[in-house]
Amino acid sequence: MRPLAGPAMLLVMVGGFAIYKFMGKDPTPPRAFTELELASADTEHTGTCYALSTVLVANGVFGNAVRTWSAPDEKNDDKWTLTVESVQQAYKGPAHVFQTFTFVRSGEQIRLDSVEASEGLPTEIAANIDRLLEAPHGMKSTPVDRCQKDGATGYRFPPHK
Amino acid sequence: MRKLPWYAMLLAACLAFAGCKQEVTRQQVAEFVDQADEAARKRFAPEICELRAKDFTLHQTFHAEDAREPSEMDITRKLYCQQAGNHAQLRQYLLERRSIDIDVATDRKTATVTADYVETLPYYEPDVRAATPDDFRYFQIVDSHDVSIVGLEDGDVRFLSTRTESFQKLVKKGELRVPYN
Repeated sequence: MRPLAGPAMLLVMVGGFAIYKFMGKDPTPPRAFTELELASADTEHTGTCYALSTVLVANGVFGNAVRTWSAPDEKNDDKWTLTVESVQQAYKGPAHVFQTFTFVRSGEQIRLDSVEASEGLPTEIAANIDRLLEAPHGMKSTPVDRCQKDGATGYRFPPHK
Repeated sequence: MRKLPWYAMLLAACLAFAGCKQEVTRQQVAEFVDQADEAARKRFAPEICELRAKDFTLHQTFHAEDAREPSEMDITRKLYCQQAGNHAQLRQYLLERRSIDIDVATDRKTATVTADYVETLPYYEPDVRAATPDDFRYFQIVDSHDVSIVGLEDGDVRFLSTRTESFQKLVKKGELRVPYN
């Protein structure tokens, strides 16, 4: 067995290094989170008929911006923060433009809990939900299963022409 | 004697993975800054990005020529790297280092690099959509004063943070000859 001690030690070290590198990747929310229906900001939290992932894909999560997911509480898989940021050239010089959305799972829905943003961008939840819904409404994205049935309704769904 | 190769391999592996370098030297930092400047001149984003530590931050104060007040921003490595990628689209770019001062900390774990640079590059006006890299009216000459903290990460020298203050001057395109590079 002793001749195997060297290679075994090397294997453990290489494996450990690989795990360290892998763990260093940015975290992302599980599909079980992003596939849930996004709720509106009204008092009843009416469903929007679109999964969070559908809304984000339809928005191209704001084009060429940098996107970073993070879990404010590593032990809580039901709360995720998405920061979308870019540098935009303005006449007074480069400006850091960002929005940070905090999404929280509530039952079988995802609620937009808070929005932080750089100057000039809205931080009200209702205004952000409306903005986020423009793209899936415009491109007639696929709604969640419950909204594919005849007569199904949701917040501003079906979208008006 | 047969055990010797394994011990040698183990030692080599330990040095490779643990990062054998623990201190920075002035020469090491000077060579590193030369390498970083060369990467910037090439506008090769992966190399520019690789020289920044994973928690790198940039604080930039920018005095635009006609602005009453400067713009300020703080960005992380991820956004900095994306900006480096955008920089790769430039066809005319000059970077000249005017001065450099390297101050190694007493614990030799980090060094403060103070450097002055002049960059010359096209100025794409914010509200004008450039169809080609040549669609601009002015070159911008940007004088920058950088203060960077350089240190070791996984045994390699990296920029840990940079604070830069830049002053922009616009010059009509025809008044300056900047080679395509």
